[in-house]
Amino acid sequence: MSAPVISLEVARRITHRGLALSAAALLGLALVYVLALGYTPVEARQGLAQKIFYLHVPAAWSALLAFSLVGFASALYLWLHDPRLDRFAAASAEVGVAFSAVMLTTGPIWAKPIWGTWWTWDARLTLTLFLFFLFVGYLVLRAAVQDPSERARFSAVVGILGMLLVPFIHLSVYLFRTLHPQPIVLKPSAPSLPPEMLRTLLISFAVFTLLYVGFVTARYGLALAEEARDAA
Amino acid sequence: MPLEPPRNAEYLIAAYVVTTVILLGYWLRLWRKSRKA
Repeated sequence: MSAPVISLEVARRITHRGLALSAAALLGLALVYVLALGYTPVEARQGLAQKIFYLHVPAAWSALLAFSLVGFASALYLWLHDPRLDRFAAASAEVGVAFSAVMLTTGPIWAKPIWGTWWTWDARLTLTLFLFFLFVGYLVLRAAVQDPSERARFSAVVGILGMLLVPFIHLSVYLFRTLHPQPIVLKPSAPSLPPEMLRTLLISFAVFTLLYVGFVTARYGLALAEEARDAA
Repeated sequence: MPLEPPRNAEYLIAAYVVTTVILLGYWLRLWRKSRKA
């Protein structure tokens, strides 16, 4: 497919739209902090550390959403060869790595007071760490290959392989003996949480999803701007 | 007798600070790049 002519002005507009959206989502994150600290009750067995869950779970959701969409966009790229799909996959992978960093730091910070250890090599934690490294490798690969068509093809294959890990990570708590808590919202039965906790968690899910959309839009616009400059 | 919740606020603060640093830091990185674009 021939690459369409990209206007630098359009690329800048997309970037600014993404930045504005993600700035609004960051304000939403401040609201989540207020709700989590002031509105939700303190859990009797875990104490204040339980409130880490309002950030950790939505960050995990955004990271797994980002990596799943990398895989879908990559598969579509290999079929259609549309550079927009490759650009989207690259943006989603980078944003997914940022959310994974939140997930992989807040998780151990919660685990230390609750499990008595920062880390344990159980299935979910280990698979999540592998997924993070796989997508860091994806970004390194993209930076190393100069030819755009080769770069898109090679990284699409890695993106699809990364996506295959996502269902295993979600189901790992059912498939293996694990210390990690079972899902409390994304499960076949109804969510098992008091209403204040559930409301705050759902708002946090919405904020992290908006943050994902804003970051990806901004990152996509920046990639477009780079291509427009190279084409000029 | 009601259960006294454990005192572990320092972990809560650490997690919220780390999250803010990563997400705000990433936004600032994108913003700085956009100024050069």
